[in-house]
Amino acid sequence: MRAPLRTILPAQLMAVVSLLYTLPVDAADDAYTVDFAQEVLPILSDKCFVCHGPDADGAESLRLDTFASATADRGGYRAIDPDRPEHSVLLERIHSTDDPMPPADADKQLTAAERDLLSLWVRQGGTYARHWAFVPPRRQPPPGNPDAGGSAAIDAFVRSRLAERGVDVAPRADRGTLARRTALVLTGLPPDPGRLAEFLADDREDAYDRLVGDLLASERFGEHQARYWLDAVRYGDTHGLHLDNRRGIFPYRDWVVMALNQNLPLDQFLTWQLAGDLLPNPTLAQRVATGFVRMNPSTSEGGAIPEEFQAKNNFDRTETLGTVLLGVSLTCARCHSHKYDPITQTEYYRLLAFFNSTAESAMDGNKYVYGPVVKAPADQAAWREWEAYEAERDRLIAKASQAVGNLAGPPDKLAPAWHRADPAERWRMLTEPDGPFAAWDLQPSARELAVRMATAEEAFTTTLVAQDLPQRRTTRVLRRGEYNLPTGEPLEPGILSAMGPFPEQAPRNRLGLAQWLTSPDHPLVARVLINRIWQRTFGHGLVRTPEDFGVQGKQPAHPQLLDWLAVELRESGWDLKHMLRMMVTSRTFQQQSRWRDDLDDPENVWLGRGPSHRLDAEVLRDVALWASGLLDPHMGGEGVKPYQPAGMWKAMAHPASNTKQYERDSGQRLYRRSLYVYWKRTSPHPMMTLFDAPDRESSCVRRSRTNTSLQSLGLLNETQRIEMARAFGGRLLRDRSTDADRLQMAFRLLACRGPTESERAACAALLQRMRGRYAASREDALALLAIGELPRDKKLDPAEHAAWTQVAATLLATDLAIMLY
Amino acid sequence: MHESDPLREYELMMTRRQLFGRAALGLGTAAVAELLGGDLRAADSSRPLARTHHRPTAKQVIYLFMSGGPSHHDLWDYKPKLAEKFGEQLPDHVRGGQRVTGMTANQKNGFPLAPSKYRFTKHENHDRGVWVSELLPHTASVVQELCVVHSTFTEAINHDPAITYIQTGSQIPGRPSLGAWLSYGLGSMNENLPHYVVMHAHTSFPEQSLFNRLWGTGFMPSDHQGMLMRSQGDPVLYLSNPAGVSRDDRRAQLDALAAMNQAQHERFADPEVLARIRQHEMAYRMQASVPELMDLSREPQATFRLYGDAARQPGSFAACCLNARRLVERGVRNVQIFHRGWDAHGNLPKEHESQCKDIDQGCAALITDLKQRGMLDETLVVWGGEFGRTAYCQGGLTRENYGRDHHPRCFTTWLAGGGIKPGITYGQTDDYAYNIADQDGVPLVPQPTKEAWTPGTMHIHDLNATILHLVGIDHKRLTYRYQGRDFRLTDIHGHVMHDLIA
Repeated sequence: MRAPLRTILPAQLMAVVSLLYTLPVDAADDAYTVDFAQEVLPILSDKCFVCHGPDADGAESLRLDTFASATADRGGYRAIDPDRPEHSVLLERIHSTDDPMPPADADKQLTAAERDLLSLWVRQGGTYARHWAFVPPRRQPPPGNPDAGGSAAIDAFVRSRLAERGVDVAPRADRGTLARRTALVLTGLPPDPGRLAEFLADDREDAYDRLVGDLLASERFGEHQARYWLDAVRYGDTHGLHLDNRRGIFPYRDWVVMALNQNLPLDQFLTWQLAGDLLPNPTLAQRVATGFVRMNPSTSEGGAIPEEFQAKNNFDRTETLGTVLLGVSLTCARCHSHKYDPITQTEYYRLLAFFNSTAESAMDGNKYVYGPVVKAPADQAAWREWEAYEAERDRLIAKASQAVGNLAGPPDKLAPAWHRADPAERWRMLTEPDGPFAAWDLQPSARELAVRMATAEEAFTTTLVAQDLPQRRTTRVLRRGEYNLPTGEPLEPGILSAMGPFPEQAPRNRLGLAQWLTSPDHPLVARVLINRIWQRTFGHGLVRTPEDFGVQGKQPAHPQLLDWLAVELRESGWDLKHMLRMMVTSRTFQQQSRWRDDLDDPENVWLGRGPSHRLDAEVLRDVALWASGLLDPHMGGEGVKPYQPAGMWKAMAHPASNTKQYERDSGQRLYRRSLYVYWKRTSPHPMMTLFDAPDRESSCVRRSRTNTSLQSLGLLNETQRIEMARAFGGRLLRDRSTDADRLQMAFRLLACRGPTESERAACAALLQRMRGRYAASREDALALLAIGELPRDKKLDPAEHAAWTQVAATLLATDLAIMLY
Repeated sequence: MHESDPLREYELMMTRRQLFGRAALGLGTAAVAELLGGDLRAADSSRPLARTHHRPTAKQVIYLFMSGGPSHHDLWDYKPKLAEKFGEQLPDHVRGGQRVTGMTANQKNGFPLAPSKYRFTKHENHDRGVWVSELLPHTASVVQELCVVHSTFTEAINHDPAITYIQTGSQIPGRPSLGAWLSYGLGSMNENLPHYVVMHAHTSFPEQSLFNRLWGTGFMPSDHQGMLMRSQGDPVLYLSNPAGVSRDDRRAQLDALAAMNQAQHERFADPEVLARIRQHEMAYRMQASVPELMDLSREPQATFRLYGDAARQPGSFAACCLNARRLVERGVRNVQIFHRGWDAHGNLPKEHESQCKDIDQGCAALITDLKQRGMLDETLVVWGGEFGRTAYCQGGLTRENYGRDHHPRCFTTWLAGGGIKPGITYGQTDDYAYNIADQDGVPLVPQPTKEAWTPGTMHIHDLNATILHLVGIDHKRLTYRYQGRDFRLTDIHGHVMHDLIA
């Protein structure tokens, strides 16, 4: 087999194709077969579809997105004539100088190479295939190792592409670096020093697998993985628009963490969020999960028109669904049929109709409780307690079911009533003092449990959930996307037909939508999800545009690997931990991340080195909290407010807003993980936005990674970073008695290795200078040590402590601490 | 000189990555240069705008944004005939089915006309002259420099969507702001200061909310976001060293940091590490350049006579204007000042008098100052809000006191400098300042829309297209691909207002 065209260098490609263009058709056929989906469609889409795409006006208009239209007889000529390719008008026009296509004044012109590729394709018959991402993924055997499964399959795919470039995977990273990388990728924190030491001393073959297992089982796992989902669904603690008032929604965030820690299969993870309320006898967790549907920013601006915001809220939900689960932009189809992808405006509004019947009002009333809401546990511990109670309750109900026949009283009355009752009703019957179970020997335990549950419920907090109106709202196409221009017949809720059929017998509501999305034949959902899982593990997605798998998106460099993984995800029972384990145990993941001389690949497209990039805003803070020993492990609860420069909210907020004053927390709440930092959507915490966190007003499935001087100022001057450096310095002074040991400990925590000679020298010089300087000015030492709420450790000499604070602050800002590598 | 500089090459590579791969380790580089196949040298401070789409007339932009919607009736759009109609209902044919906000749609007193209580004076310009209200005496003195557009319009009728629309080109959050587009298109001219600075001026009526998204980057890399220059605490977030840390201490820290990062680079050969060393150094320089910028002690008395004593109060609008001049003087590309409090639903006279006092002298001083320094030719100044206000009263109406609701169909904006024709008056409205009208005051039929430009009008997309044009950017060609679509600031609309350009 010949190498596919895309592996040939551009210059060679031009030469080859120009040569072929002059050859007879059969010779060209013989030399190279153009891949429509991979090579031609992106050109047509980018350069031609703007006029000749799915939304071209009128039945007679030429459309180049379908074979039928492209080859239709247009009065003696055809754009593409498959029988006599040389008569194809397309060929003539793209090479014409008098009457060219695209027209001379078009924004986008064909390049010579593109023209040649199109010519070759037409000469080969101009055959069409569907865009790859709309064809359900199928597994192909890993090259060179067809029986490989698990991480070996990943490696087989990667190595075969590297082999085409004459190289193989890089050597393994050293074990300390690997442990750090894996722990940061899975849990967002470096490995615990004790666990690291154990791993480094463990010479069993499965030592690394064991480490991975421990990391996957850690509760830190869910907190870290949840962040990516919260970016995608635009989770925020405020309404977002206008007053940007507080919103009761954090139990949803806690549920996401819990679901990921419990490894809830991802198909259920999605189903609960889209339609937990529509499941039979939904649990509290299932209802809380529907906060997903309520995540759109909302307003209650005086004068706003409810119909307008009913439409805008729906646009937002529909388009977010497109980005997060379908990996396509649906925004175009709001106003007209999609220019590039086969999505019609009518289909857009059918999809929107799934969300158009939720019961909340279009305006939030600026209220924290923006109904419908449910009451839910107020932090992770309360959730655990509640879930234990629920399990116990269900166990008692099951026992009662067995007992129903044997109880005193007329069984012919109780049994039918019991069988008719839903779980809530059964529980009521079970615990009624004078009820049918009054004599049952387990009733005292049931009643005691009911009391405990009632007590737990008193501490519950409200959270926004989805619920449908008894009567569906009418949905129509909105002309040009204008809320006041509904047109045409009322629409049934429906799906995008390019992405597979609606499952038979599925209900036409959000539950049916979830069934469609998670059905085995859906071409996109598994691919889109696994691509983002890959992205957070390897630093980049296999598809580099995780928000766009459509015709205009980037072609993956490893399409077969992507499909293999997508099928594996589904066939593993949508098992996230399984997939992550497979990825991090691959040889591919374990490579050194050093840039290679033998492979020119700055973006690491070919995966010939391990991941390396700056860590996310949250991780930067968490690592420093953790290294300094300040990190408060408390999980869940209302968002926390660490230090923030004074007046930031007030300078922007409406006087009537209840988030105009930033009321800083104190005590342990200052030291919670960054996942829990309060997210005001119109003004998130500045240390988050400084390091590329999104505002969460719209979906973000890929953060930018910038590198700015303002970040340097933040790293070295921000109050919490100084406080963490103080605590870190103090910890080093207390826990180790020599400078060498202290440095050793600091490096071990931050880099999972000891310092090199040059690093030791740099730190020693800094330390020496700072010692002298703070010994000379006790006042400066005390000033530095007074930053942040944490009291100074009076047992430590201030000059010594200040000097180590400076060393710690510097270390925490170095790339060995702030990068993944 | 850059040919053999590996870091330069790296940055060039990263720019390509940003542009084509959108993976974005953005370094604030010039996309336009890259779009045209150029290289980073086009972004050098020594050759600004060497590779824009066309020859720019403005190097820099100062945008004075009046958040809340200033009343064109009471400041700029003189309607003497309205005085006779005090308290009469707005005729239906004038309203012409225009949707009104929920605040006045069902008002008990209907839509009673509220003529402005303020005296207007006609000032000569290079055109037909321009009427200015007594609320803006200083601004009136510089109308020879201003291009006053009475026919600005939008579709949005509430603040959040309207301000998001005019600043990002979309009513729904998620798109890059005008400032982000300018940063993406033009890059920086001064390595020691940020390229895009945002200030929030004090107001006695902080009635409106501002949002990060107004200077945010939406789906673009976040280093194109506006940097807040604050009047409280550090002017630039986290600028000052912590207490007990001197500049020498910081130097020592940065030396240690550089040595360790150098070691990291030797280990991993990742050029991002070198780029970060450079950013740390730039931060160190900024710690000197920003205080120098903020230090007004060397400004002569004449400056404060020009801007008024308010310019000595950090955070006042006048002080922000003075800072804006100092910023553009130092090569900052784009400065935006947000002044809130223009949302006068009731007690308009009291509120607008205070608001105008806040801004009037600063606006005039800025124009005069730039002119005196020979900078006005290359600096575009824009003044305006997100919409106008209604001819009819909201709430109780007397001759002396009234309120006005939001009005999208016409409002007044002015531009000056940077290639704009000085001293012209553009567009007009009907006798009610309700509809954009022809030269005889007859409302345009059909209503102008964003779909196709109507001569004599300026949709907010047209305004944005014109701003980009003046700095050398074709608004149709400056695009950023996200989700398969090449987005523009002006969406699929926008007309460059050649009528306003010298």
